Amino acid sequence: MPQAVANLDQMDEHLEAVVRALYGAVKQGIPHVKEPQIVDKAIADCKEILDEIMAGKVDEWLN
Amino acid sequence: MFTDKIELRDFDKMDPEYKELLGHVLTIQADCEIGGPHLYVEKMLGAAPTKLDQLIVARTAAEEIDHYRKVARVAGHIGVDVSFVLSQPNEKRFIATFRGLINTWEDNAVFGFLIDRVGRYQLEEFYNCSYLPLQRILPDIVTEELGHIEYGFNKTLELIQSGDEGKEKAQRAVDFWYVRALDMFGRSGSKRSERYRYWGLKRRSNDQARQDYMNEVEPLLRHIGLKVPDPTKGRQYI
Repeated sequence: MPQAVANLDQMDEHLEAVVRALYGAVKQGIPHVKEPQIVDKAIADCKEILDEIMAGKVDEWLN
Repeated sequence: MFTDKIELRDFDKMDPEYKELLGHVLTIQADCEIGGPHLYVEKMLGAAPTKLDQLIVARTAAEEIDHYRKVARVAGHIGVDVSFVLSQPNEKRFIATFRGLINTWEDNAVFGFLIDRVGRYQLEEFYNCSYLPLQRILPDIVTEELGHIEYGFNKTLELIQSGDEGKEKAQRAVDFWYVRALDMFGRSGSKRSERYRYWGLKRRSNDQARQDYMNEVEPLLRHIGLKVPDPTKGRQYI
């Protein structure tokens, strides 16, 4: 068997959690698109999560 | 032609060329998956026309991140670390289409309609491929890409139906993205592409895949009242 890359499972678990959190925020917002308080909070949550991924500071995610 | 089906446990026994090609194609695929959100999240999450569209931008990005994760896992198991693509600047993306930033809603719509469709073509190349762990992750990824394509198409159509100004914006975005989409298939007559086919990692030549794409997209463009851009103008790869 080939040698898997280091931290593969850790990275996979982190990204899986990120995706789950994003789906959760989207799911919270979609039924409430006409209720600004709820939908704006959902969008803000998505932005916070996505900003972290887009920043790409991979070392920080795993520590 | 190589016709065997390979599992992870067989990988060490494979020819070095097979290992190199598989690692390379997985790295590019991972880069493209994460390259999409890097193009549109920054501006479109806030600028999408409705709250629902903003949430759909976020959901689309979530799906692409998940596609990256699945590809990175397949690559990681054969010892290929693709995590560097998570932090590299857009200007260093493997595929030129992903270098830059999407600044307008019409570009975002047409990106889904045309570029995610190229993504689907790239993934379909791996259907029935020789590396089974790659084949196994395809169905869910392709299903989600189909959703992105449909959303992009519907948003492009909405723009066209909004009036002359919207139609002009959509046409300009199509003029910009269509030639980039055609270039994404790579050079006709590429030797690397032939080796991918030899090893059962891809099904079609670059030229054939590009032609199939044009045959699918051009009638769609005409159907929604847009002009088909000159497919040779502004191209990097012919």
